[in-house]
Amino acid sequence: MSGRARARARGIARSSFRATEVGRTQASSLPTSVDLSNNEASSSSGFMGTSRISTNRKYEISSCDAGSTFMERGVKNKWDFMDLDICTREKLAHVRDCKTGSSGIPVKLVTNLFNLDFPQDWQLYQYHVTYLPDLASRRLRIALLYSHSKLSDKAKAFDGAMLFLSQKLEEKVTELSSETQRGETVKMTITLKRELPSSSPMCIQVFNIIFRKILKKLSMYQIGRNFYNPSEPMEIPQHKLSLWPGFAISVSYFESKLLFSADVSYKVLRNETVLEFMTALCHRTGLSCFTQTCEKQLIGLIVLTRYNNRTYRIDDIDWSVRPTHTFQKRDGTEITYVDYYKQQYDITISDLNQPVLVSLLKRKRYDNSEAQLAHLIPELCFLTGLTEQATSDFQLMKAVAEKMRLSPLGRQQRLARLVDDLQRNTNARFELETWGLHFGSQVSLTGRIVPSEKILMQDHICQPVSAADWSKDVRTCKILSAQSLNTWLILCSDRTEYVANSFLNCLRRVGDSMGFNVDYPKIIKVQENPAAFVRAVQQHVDPDVQLVMCILPSNQKTYYDSIKKYLSLDCPVPSQCVLARTLNKQGMMMSIATKIAMQMTCKLGGELWAVEIPLKSLMVVGIDVCKDALSKDVMVVGCVASVNPGITRWFSRCILQRTTTDVADCLKVFMTGALNKWYKYNHDLPARIIVYRAGVGDGQLKTLIEYEVPQLLSSVAESSSNARLSVIVVRKKCMPRFFTEMNRTVQNPPLGTVVDSEATRNEWYDFYLISQVAGRGTVSPTYYNVIYDDNGLKPDHMQRLTFKLCHLYYNWPGLISVPAPCQYARKLTFLVAQSIHKEPSLELASFLFYL
Amino acid sequence: MEENKLQCSSVVDGNFEEVPRETVIQFKPPLYRQRYQFVKNLVEQHEPKKVADLGCGDTSLLRLLKVNPCIELLVGVDINEDKLRWRGDTLAPFMGDFLKPRDLNLTITLYHGSVVERDSRLLGFDLITCIELIEHLDSGDLARFPEVVFGYLSPSMIVISTPNSEFNPLFPSVTLRDSDHKFEWTRMEFQTWALYVANRYDYSVEFTGVGEPPAGAENVGYCTQIGIFRKNGGKAMKSCVSEQHDQHVYKAVFTTSYPSLQQERFFKLVLVNEVSQQVESLRVSHLPRQKKQDGEWGDKPKDSKAPGPCFGPVFTEIEKAKIENSPKPFCVGDKFFVPLQRLLAYPKLNRLCANEEMMRSVIADSIPLSSDGSAVVADLRDYFDEQF
Repeated sequence: MSGRARARARGIARSSFRATEVGRTQASSLPTSVDLSNNEASSSSGFMGTSRISTNRKYEISSCDAGSTFMERGVKNKWDFMDLDICTREKLAHVRDCKTGSSGIPVKLVTNLFNLDFPQDWQLYQYHVTYLPDLASRRLRIALLYSHSKLSDKAKAFDGAMLFLSQKLEEKVTELSSETQRGETVKMTITLKRELPSSSPMCIQVFNIIFRKILKKLSMYQIGRNFYNPSEPMEIPQHKLSLWPGFAISVSYFESKLLFSADVSYKVLRNETVLEFMTALCHRTGLSCFTQTCEKQLIGLIVLTRYNNRTYRIDDIDWSVRPTHTFQKRDGTEITYVDYYKQQYDITISDLNQPVLVSLLKRKRYDNSEAQLAHLIPELCFLTGLTEQATSDFQLMKAVAEKMRLSPLGRQQRLARLVDDLQRNTNARFELETWGLHFGSQVSLTGRIVPSEKILMQDHICQPVSAADWSKDVRTCKILSAQSLNTWLILCSDRTEYVANSFLNCLRRVGDSMGFNVDYPKIIKVQENPAAFVRAVQQHVDPDVQLVMCILPSNQKTYYDSIKKYLSLDCPVPSQCVLARTLNKQGMMMSIATKIAMQMTCKLGGELWAVEIPLKSLMVVGIDVCKDALSKDVMVVGCVASVNPGITRWFSRCILQRTTTDVADCLKVFMTGALNKWYKYNHDLPARIIVYRAGVGDGQLKTLIEYEVPQLLSSVAESSSNARLSVIVVRKKCMPRFFTEMNRTVQNPPLGTVVDSEATRNEWYDFYLISQVAGRGTVSPTYYNVIYDDNGLKPDHMQRLTFKLCHLYYNWPGLISVPAPCQYARKLTFLVAQSIHKEPSLELASFLFYL
Repeated sequence: MEENKLQCSSVVDGNFEEVPRETVIQFKPPLYRQRYQFVKNLVEQHEPKKVADLGCGDTSLLRLLKVNPCIELLVGVDINEDKLRWRGDTLAPFMGDFLKPRDLNLTITLYHGSVVERDSRLLGFDLITCIELIEHLDSGDLARFPEVVFGYLSPSMIVISTPNSEFNPLFPSVTLRDSDHKFEWTRMEFQTWALYVANRYDYSVEFTGVGEPPAGAENVGYCTQIGIFRKNGGKAMKSCVSEQHDQHVYKAVFTTSYPSLQQERFFKLVLVNEVSQQVESLRVSHLPRQKKQDGEWGDKPKDSKAPGPCFGPVFTEIEKAKIENSPKPFCVGDKFFVPLQRLLAYPKLNRLCANEEMMRSVIADSIPLSSDGSAVVADLRDYFDEQF
């Protein structure tokens, strides 16, 4: 649609807006369905979680029933608490009494958790407040209650309807009256609803609100649920980024007590306005395709307006409107954008030719549910979060990661400073004291280091020096099995032919030493553009071709995407893309060739190494889910299952689904396929199945238990197998951090450290495992929650098996942070979500074609 | 034409506020807004550095005034501490204030206290406003009010607003507009009081108001009457400020300082960002021609003409000439150089930085410079260029 056409379309919508004002009830049919709360689209990768901005400013008034949530200052506190009422452990008989393991060497660990002390009989009193006459404005309700002298010296939290006090009022029902600025008398009736013990979920919400208040008192800046210190920013000017250091904090109930947890977090801000972005883009694309590219790049992004601190989603760009045009203010007067910003915010708009951004506001104001459009001036909007393009920029991500990296000692020092501030700041201490709380000591606990694993090669058993990277230990060993590579293609351009040849020689040499026979390929020269590459693939790939290697002249995404698309969908053949730039790196050729040779082996169905698996006939499954990059409402579900007892061969499938709840349905399809495959290879069905489920968001546990587990169970039952099933939720992001104290400094815990007490939850069968090294940074433990377990393995065995599986990811000769099937599933979903956008051909299912 | 008038968009920024409903006479904009706007205009006109609002209530006026670039100290005083606490933190700087800092420092402080108590931290102000305040004072406080505000604090300018009771008959059955009002004055009563006070403390006073009476009732005057008091002899009294003993009776409830270009850290941040931005913009505008020469973008739609930016900063003729006459950016191999002198020719950067030496010393450890330090160096192509 052209800008003008869109404006016209809007004109039509506009007239219907007016119609609703007259009293027609077509409000529901209006285009009001843009969900402002769904604003995390801009940041996709795991560690960029810090760049998210929350715009959950829904000023709703929550009702008072038991399941409702308490909101203050528009920040929604709901989702961290949703999983709390799910108790899975009580159904698991073998861990009901004890879920801790005992093997391994005990290790003393310091945590980022702190005790909160309060009197034994501490209680919270929940009141419900009604107003007569009823007031619709939440702000007014709060203002009236807060300004009443009766409550002025009491610790309180109030969201407009629900009031919490730490001291009981004398009467069960208290009547107060107050006056508005207009002189209206309003009666407030405060009725006691419940008395809550400190362990109740509602109470934990209130604790979190209290701590948010306190951190604000330390001049910290709240964004979403984290707090940042904007006066100490770190800059990355070449990427137009600022990083604000800060903390993610929360209060929650761990194994036996309430703990405060704090972790260092960074907010990534962009020092770039939308106008600057557009101007640069215009230079890059040229005028002809500028508007189109610009819309593609900007629509859906969240911007921050600098004058009022709000965030908006860009839903459209109106190219027909200029800052010099007028709009109608609420009071009906016409004013130009330029004058409005000058009058309202003393801001001079310098560029009078810029278009305006359009954002649909979804806000329930009183009872009229009319959608409103906000027009925003690009010059005054800052971009937020990192675009996918930015996150795929290696240099940028490296710069960000380097700035964010913090050693365990540095992290511990930051925590110490926060705690010090909390205890010294009089305002903060006052707030804590009025609630009857006391900030206590840092929690330390005992973990265990599980034994290290041996790596099984073809004719050698190797005990690596460091489990983090055993590439040196196995350099001279032959891999378990490899298909010989006889018929294959290399596509390269004139410019890259030379490096392609020298690389080929290298590849043959390293292939030879690892037991992977590489014959000479057919080398095809193509022009340097994506279309030429795809044409060449179409022309030369026939059923005999085992693998296609493409030497790409640049990292332009279309090269990779179009090649992978064709070779995964239309003509399923394993493919290997290599950037010419990578092959030009001096002195790196051998290690690059080794890595590529290993990937190629796997893509042809080879096996690299194994670890000893004591359970015979065990199938492990990894599941991961992510959103498709093109159509955000499509969920990409990747499932990977081992198909041999040695856990070296895999069956991989990726299925696209419409909604999260549908994920369960495709699991059945997948499991049936995986069990068939297992039967085909082993002439039997597996006795045990252990599913590692990653990609689970906060609050989704219930869906997993109610839909996914039953689906998995029924697919096992329908295949007439008696396999026993376990389902484990894997989370890479979790609040606790662990350090070891050594020689007066703190360090990362050793590989294989397991924590299954104190920092875990009483109602769950859960544990933390550290299975990766963090170089100079601080390691984050991986969190495992066993939500279903028919296998009845001892906790010790479950933990060790999980650790073993972290050794089996063939893209890296070392330990990784999650079990290999999870990482395979993740890699597969990433390829599909980013490049292919369709289910890859099933002919590739037996190969790790996505490495 | 119709398309340009955006009836649907009654908000530009979603800034919703309570609009009190007056039952019979409706002011547009509402009266309280007119009062605030009046003060705001006054601030724009006189550019005071230090401004205090006595009886600041929920700090709405302060929030309106904080955007003014001339103000460096903004103080609110009220006897309702809870109200100050409750809305106070909304005066803290926004995220955008850190990304785009002000030119001058700004500190905002809220004090809990009474306007008839003396606190030396309010001495030496350029403007003190008492909007709808005096009618809440009982006779004892009202008597003490002038000696504290005019006599002791003695700012260069004072603005006092209060209801005009002559207007009240136009409201249905109103005796006092608020139950907490101790009195409401006619124009005569207010002006008598004001002239007496002005005379006593050597101020001159001028009367005006907001809230025009409806047609036919012009004789009742403005709904809100306002007196603007100016100290005779300007700021002559300032010398005695330092002689006053420190007297801190107010309780500071909230205080915040804004990042500004006066602070080295933020100055550097802004300068480095502006330089990077300018270099980037020069670099990308260098690219298209480059592309054509290389001729390796076969499948791209070729631009028939060099893309002139459809928008971007607009320069005056003098500025254009200045930029044209400065040393041009150049390429050596795959490196792109922008002379600092060139950067200084752009008004945005010139405003921040007076000379090359200063620019060099501030950006040197953040932005790569050429070996002689006279130019910024960047890679000619970056990751994003390859994406288009």
